[in-house]
Amino acid sequence: MTIRTITDVEFGAQLPVFTPDTSLSSTSTFAEAVGWGGGGRGGRFSDHDAAKKEGLPGALVPGIMAMGFLTSMIHSWSEAADVRHIDTVFRAPLLADDPCHIDGVVTDIDEATGIVQLDLTVKNEKDETRVFGTADVRLPLG
Amino acid sequence: MVDVEQLKSDFLNTEFDRKDFVLDAQKLATVARISGETKAEFIDPEHPDFQAAPAFIASLASGRHLPIDFPTLGGIPMDGGKAVTCIKPVRAGVPLTGRTHLHEIYDKSGRSGRMVFVVARMEIMDPDGEHIATSDSRMVIRERPDA
Repeated sequence: MTIRTITDVEFGAQLPVFTPDTSLSSTSTFAEAVGWGGGGRGGRFSDHDAAKKEGLPGALVPGIMAMGFLTSMIHSWSEAADVRHIDTVFRAPLLADDPCHIDGVVTDIDEATGIVQLDLTVKNEKDETRVFGTADVRLPLG
Repeated sequence: MVDVEQLKSDFLNTEFDRKDFVLDAQKLATVARISGETKAEFIDPEHPDFQAAPAFIASLASGRHLPIDFPTLGGIPMDGGKAVTCIKPVRAGVPLTGRTHLHEIYDKSGRSGRMVFVVARMEIMDPDGEHIATSDSRMVIRERPDA
């Protein structure tokens, strides 16, 4: 169902599952664009071997990239959605090249203001939660 | 053991860092596109409402997260999470200022000891000094018993 206005949203509805691109080339490009590439901590997002030398299990998906995945998922659910607030909790490292998926659910609806609250969870293939998020999203009034 | 109430009294709500930015449109678009974004106002620099996605706004807060005289709690701060509040669009190519203060300090105790949570809040201002976005960085510090 296409979500165009607040009246299209149902409490408890699941958002379509979103599968982000966690490839090493993407995490590396992201890190470079936000100024975390190159030397220093850059290797932890672009090079599995360099990350392991730092004691990490492998190259990481930058935490804020996970936030990017969440907002992309929200806009994929509804192009009319306007993210007003998003909070991400980094519970465990999300590894580059490790497939993951994002689930989302509508937890509150305020039809007077057009604000919808969402819970969003990034899980790996073992179904382990790596990042948890909540978002307040504004939709046009019906 | 550090007194959290004293930390609050000494450090909350006092600006300790200020940074100026001019955001690069291509980098904003790259960050949004590589995150899977599809809305034109985040991935197309030619769009009339082109603006930074929340993830890019969160990246602005990297750097100094604690006041220079904040006490050492014995552990290495870990990134516990980020939050962004969007008030008005954050645009590329205009001078912006980020003003940072400690917004919240609290602790939680568990079997492995006490964890201290510190939330550094950057308020992002446009060239007119209007507050257009907020980026919170949540640090988690596992306290050493002898700290």
